[in-house]
Amino acid sequence: MKDSHDSEVSRREFIGGTGAAIVAANTIPVKAQDRSGESNERAIEDVPLTRITLTVNGTEHRVAVEDRWTLTELLRDHLGLTGTRIGCNRGECGACTVLLDGEPAYSCSTLAVWAHGRSVQTVEGLEKSGRVSKLQQAFIDHNAPQCGFCTSGQLMSATALLQRNANPTVREIREALAGNLCRCSNYNAIVEAVQAATRTGGA
Amino acid sequence: MAIDPLKTVGQNTPRIDAYERVTGQATYTRDIKLPGMLYARVLRSNVPHAMIRRIDTSKAEALPGVRAVMTHETHKIPYGSGSISGGRQYSDAHKDITTRLRYTFNDHVRYVGEPVAAVAAVNRHVAEEALQLIEIDYEELPFVLDVEEAIEPGAPEIWSGGNIAHDSENRQQPIGGRTGDLEAGFAEADQIFEDRFTTQFVQDAQMEPRSALAHWEGDKLILHTPTQGVSNCRHDTARDLGLEDHQVQVICQYMGGGFGDKNGNYYFDLIAAAFARDLGVPVMVELSRKDDWLATHGRWHTVQDYRVGVKDDGTVTAIQLNGLSGMGPYLRRSGNVAGMDVYACENTEKSILPVHTNRVVSGNFRAPTYPQGYFGIESMMDEVAYKLGIDPVQFALKNMVRPTETKQFTNFTLDQCIEQGAELFDWANRWKPEPGSGEGPIKRGAGMAFMMFNARLGASSAILRVNAEGRYTVYVGVTDIGPGAKTTMSMLAAEELGVPLSDVDIVWGDSDRCPYSVGESGSRCTMMTGYAVVEAARDLKRQIAENGMPQGDSVLIASATPAPTTNGKLREGFGAHFVEVEVDTHLGDVRVTKYVTVHESGRILNPLPALDQIRGAVIQGIGQALTEDLRYDSRNGQPLTSGYYWGRHLTHLDVPQIENVFIETDDGLGPYGAKTVGESGIIIAPVAVANAVYNAIGHRMRDLPITRDKILEVVA
Ligand code: FES
Ligand code: FES
Repeated sequence: MKDSHDSEVSRREFIGGTGAAIVAANTIPVKAQDRSGESNERAIEDVPLTRITLTVNGTEHRVAVEDRWTLTELLRDHLGLTGTRIGCNRGECGACTVLLDGEPAYSCSTLAVWAHGRSVQTVEGLEKSGRVSKLQQAFIDHNAPQCGFCTSGQLMSATALLQRNANPTVREIREALAGNLCRCSNYNAIVEAVQAATRTGGA
Repeated sequence: MAIDPLKTVGQNTPRIDAYERVTGQATYTRDIKLPGMLYARVLRSNVPHAMIRRIDTSKAEALPGVRAVMTHETHKIPYGSGSISGGRQYSDAHKDITTRLRYTFNDHVRYVGEPVAAVAAVNRHVAEEALQLIEIDYEELPFVLDVEEAIEPGAPEIWSGGNIAHDSENRQQPIGGRTGDLEAGFAEADQIFEDRFTTQFVQDAQMEPRSALAHWEGDKLILHTPTQGVSNCRHDTARDLGLEDHQVQVICQYMGGGFGDKNGNYYFDLIAAAFARDLGVPVMVELSRKDDWLATHGRWHTVQDYRVGVKDDGTVTAIQLNGLSGMGPYLRRSGNVAGMDVYACENTEKSILPVHTNRVVSGNFRAPTYPQGYFGIESMMDEVAYKLGIDPVQFALKNMVRPTETKQFTNFTLDQCIEQGAELFDWANRWKPEPGSGEGPIKRGAGMAFMMFNARLGASSAILRVNAEGRYTVYVGVTDIGPGAKTTMSMLAAEELGVPLSDVDIVWGDSDRCPYSVGESGSRCTMMTGYAVVEAARDLKRQIAENGMPQGDSVLIASATPAPTTNGKLREGFGAHFVEVEVDTHLGDVRVTKYVTVHESGRILNPLPALDQIRGAVIQGIGQALTEDLRYDSRNGQPLTSGYYWGRHLTHLDVPQIENVFIETDDGLGPYGAKTVGESGIIIAPVAVANAVYNAIGHRMRDLPITRDKILEVVA
C-alpha cells in the first residue's frame, strides 16, 4: 500500500475529481480558541491515503481513502450510503453486512483499501428501477424489521443465500443468517420473510 | 368474550414506514450529517473505584484536529436523571434535595466505564487518538461488586452513609410492604419452605449504539438522540442544563431499539450539548459498542430469599420475600422486584433493598421489575408444587389471583390463558410427574409459568388536523422504537375517523412539533397516547359534523389529553407460557424445543407486530434464562463479558419457533379495549424455561443464567 500514498494529488482535489462526498475535515469552519486551524488541517492531510477503485451498487468510484477507514466508514461517511449500519464495529453482530463480490462480508471488519478492485453491494442497491426486491417486499409483508437496525444486514445475507440457493430450507436460512444478530429478537419473522421469498414461497 | 370486528384496527397492516426500513432510507441519529459537525468520544474510567487526583489533557489538546476536551474540571453538569429517576413522570423535586447527585463527569469514579473526559475533534479517529493521550492519576479505592458484601459493616463506601440507595427523600428504606397477616398465614400452614434465587445483570443491548447530535440556534438546543420519549428527554435535558423546556428540541425519527432505559436523557446528550455550545458547531457524540455496554444501563441483578407457607391441600397461606437489587453506583430506577401479586395469598411481606456496587449502573429493561421477580417466585412455587406432589398447572389454578369483592378486575382471563395453553402444548403428555426420569443422555422436560402485567391508563396528548384536501395529520410524541407505534397511532385515527389509512399522515418524534407523550415505555404508549388519538379524532368528527369539512386554506384542529380511569378496578394483561426443553447431560446444553404462549392483551390492534412483540420478548427472555450475563473479575473489578459475543446473545440458530395465541377481549377501556403487549412476553420466559429444566433433570436451577457449567455440576 506504501506506493499508493499519493503526495502529488492533494486529497481534496482527488476526491473532488471523483465526485465522492467531501470529507468533513475539509469543510469544518475553524473555531478552535487556542490552536491554529491551519496546522490541524495539515496534520490531518498527513494521514496515509490510498487511491482505490471499487464498484458500489453498479457505479464505479475512484476514491482516496485513509488507510484506517473501514469499508463501512467509506460507505457511510464518504459515499453517503448510510443504509449499512454499525451495531458493534467489531465483527459481532452483522448489522454492517454488505456483499463483496456477491459474498456477505462484515464491512466493519473490512478495511476500505481491501475493497480495491472489488464490487460492493449494499442495501441501497437492492431496489431496481424503483421496485423493491422480492425479498424486501417479503420483509415488509412479514414484519421482518422491528426497530430495523439489523434489517440491512439480514437482507444482504439473505440476498446472498437466495442467489446461490433459490429454495433453502428453514435450517439453511438460519445457518446463512447466523451471523446477523437481532436484539429485537425478531428471528421468527425474519426467517418467515426469507421463506416467503424463496422460489416456492416457503410452501 | 367476543369482540366486535372493526375496519382498520385488527387488520394486519404493514408498518407505514416499512419501506424506509427495508431500503436503508430510515435515518437513525448517526446517519445525520450537518455542515461543520465535529465528532466526540468519551474516555472512561478503567478502574472500579477511585478519586481522580490529577487529570492532564494537554497532550490531547495539542493533537492536531482536536477542538476541545472536557472533564470534571471544565464542566460540572448535573446528570439528574442518573440519581433521581429522570423524566417528568418521576420525581422532579428530588433534584433539589438529593445528597447523591451524579454529574456528567465525576472526580469520584465509581465503576469501570464511568465517563471521565470527552474529546471533540474533526473526525472520530482523531477523537479516539486524543483519548489515549489523556493522563489520569487515580487514587484507587477499595471496591465492592457483590450486593451482600456491599451492605456488610466495613464495606467500601461508594457513597458516604453506606451503600443502600436513597429513596426520593434521602432515606435508606426497603421497598415493599405487608398485606394481610403474615404471622397468621405461617401459623395456618402445614409446611413452610424456604429458598434463595438469584438473577443476573442483563444489558438492554439494543442494536444501535447510542449517540447524540447537538447544535444550537441562539439559546435554543436542538438535540437528535435515540430516545423512547422525546418529551421526557427534553425535560430532563432542560433541567440538567438549567434551561426551560422550550429551549430544548429533541428529535428522534428512527431508533435502533429501546428496551426500557431510554425514556429520558443520557449523559452523552449533555456532553454533545455542552460541546456544541462551547464550539458553536454541531457535535456528534458516538458511543462504541463497549461504551454502550458498560456505560449505559441494564436489568438490575437480584438476590431473593423466599419463605412460603402452604397447607397440605396445596393452598398457599403466606409469602415472604427479602431481597437485594444491585443498582450499580448510581440510582437510575427503582430496584423493585415484582411478582407476588399474581398469587391469591393475602398474607405477604416484601422487603427489597436497592444496593450500590461498583458495577455498571442498572436501569429499566423491558418490564423492569418483572422477569427477576417472576423467576424467583414461580421457581419457588414450582418447587413447592413438586414437594406436595401436585401438578404445577393445578397448583397454579389453585393459587393464582382471582377476582374478589375487594379485588376487582376490568376483565379476567388468567385461568383461560393457563387452561388453553396447557391444552395447546399437550401438557398432560409432555410434562413428567417424576422430574429427571427421562432416559439420558438428552433429557426432556416441560415447564410452565403464568403472569399478569399492569395495563394502566394515564394521561398523554394527541393533536389531529384536517385540511381542505381531506388529509388528516396526527401529531404524537412517539418515536417508534420497534413495535410500530406510528402505524398503530395512524390506524387508531383512521378507525375513529372512518377514513382509509392512506388519508392519514403522521408527525412524530419531535418535541417541538408534537404534544406530550408518555413515551414508549411501560407498554403504555398504545393505551395512553393511542387513547388520546381516539379522543382527538372524536372531537374532530364532532367539529366536522358541526362545521363541515374545511375549505380553502382553513383547517380544523382537535386535541385531547384524556386521563381515563378504571374506577378502582385492576386492569391487567394476562399470559401463560409452556416450554419443552432438551438438556444434554453430557455437554450441559439446554435447547428449547417447543414454546407455547397464550396472552390476553385486550383487543389486538395490529396482529403481526403484536405477535412479534411477544415472540421477540420471549426470545430475549430465553437469553436471560440461558446465556446472557455480565461477569466481573472479582480480583480487580473489571467487567469480562461486554459485547454480543461474550454476552452470548442468541442467534438465528439458537431460537425456537414461538407459538402464540391471543385471547382477544374488549373491556371498554383504552383505545378499543387494547391493553399492554410490548413487555408481556418477557416476564415469565426465564422462569418457564427454568421450570422445564427442573422437569428434565430433577435439579432446581436457582441462579440465572442456566449455563453449561451449572448443569454439569448437578448432573455429573
Ligand atoms: S457492525 Fe460489523 S459486525 Fe457488528
Ligand atoms: S429489528 Fe431491531 S435489531 Fe433486528
